[in-house]
Amino acid sequence: MTERRMPEGPFSGGCQCGAVRFRALALRDNPHVCYCRMCQKATGNLFTALVGVYHENLTWTRGRPAEFMSSDLAARGFCANCGTSLYYRSNGGPHVSMSIGAFDEPHRIPLWYQLGMEGKHPSLMHLADIEEAGTTESAMAEDAATIRVSNHQHPDHDTATWMPALGALP
Amino acid sequence: MSDSFTGGCQCGAVRYRIDGNLRHASICNCRMCQKAMGNLFGAWAEFDAPVIWTRGRPAQFRSSLKVQRGFCSTCGTPLTYQWGDNLPAITIGSFDRPNQIVPTGELARDNRHPVVGHADDLDEESIGSTDEERDILAILKSYQHPDQDTASWTPGVGQ
Repeated sequence: MTERRMPEGPFSGGCQCGAVRFRALALRDNPHVCYCRMCQKATGNLFTALVGVYHENLTWTRGRPAEFMSSDLAARGFCANCGTSLYYRSNGGPHVSMSIGAFDEPHRIPLWYQLGMEGKHPSLMHLADIEEAGTTESAMAEDAATIRVSNHQHPDHDTATWMPALGALP
Repeated sequence: MSDSFTGGCQCGAVRYRIDGNLRHASICNCRMCQKAMGNLFGAWAEFDAPVIWTRGRPAQFRSSLKVQRGFCSTCGTPLTYQWGDNLPAITIGSFDRPNQIVPTGELARDNRHPVVGHADDLDEESIGSTDEERDILAILKSYQHPDQDTASWTPGVGQ
């Protein structure tokens, strides 16, 4: 088996709107996806993709996440302004399991194992076979241009100042 | 005859129903979907009928001029992606029976996280494989809304 190494920190990240930003000095050696129904429902997705950061290595550099206690044992952090799922946290645990997609450079973070197999969605068995609908730029060129000039997503790096576009009730 | 699909957020403050047909389901690896979901991709279902909000309403974040993303303001579950006045796409994981909805399209493959495409090669680990984990699972009181509609529900407390 090839040796597995986690990339060296520090890492930065945050929610889509930029109201909440964090810094992780180092990552734990437990990057994983979890297919359990609680992770699916919490994130509205097919799985969560998480990596642990020891509490002492995690700093909230802008804003604070809101939390929902999904059970007596665990809380899930999210941005109250834009809804981005930021972490899963086990009560009393040594680390916070941060959402890999919330990091500024998610491609740098590997995945080593998968949990909650009972909930694995059928499409994940044949992900490589599903139709490729192109890049964002090619599949929706005009729309992509509109998004580019009106993008309210925080950039994938820390910013000295930032005013998140406000959330609103419909 | 059309189908009926129900779903909602984790805490149950927001619930929805769609009386219509699934038009398209896809995953999107673009960086906006990744960052909005805090995940490797967004997984979306589009229908030929409007969403009926049967409990609560999602909060909205306008991620760009044309697009609003809806989520539960109590628990954060991402729920919708809406382009202009189009019918919103719904997150597949928020449906009560997500396995009924199988994506057939993939967007922004150029921005795939490296693991997407070889997820089956990951080591498989089970939850509840030790006595300690089984004890914890036995007493775990979940505040997640069940995967069906409920007549009454208090988020974080339950029925």
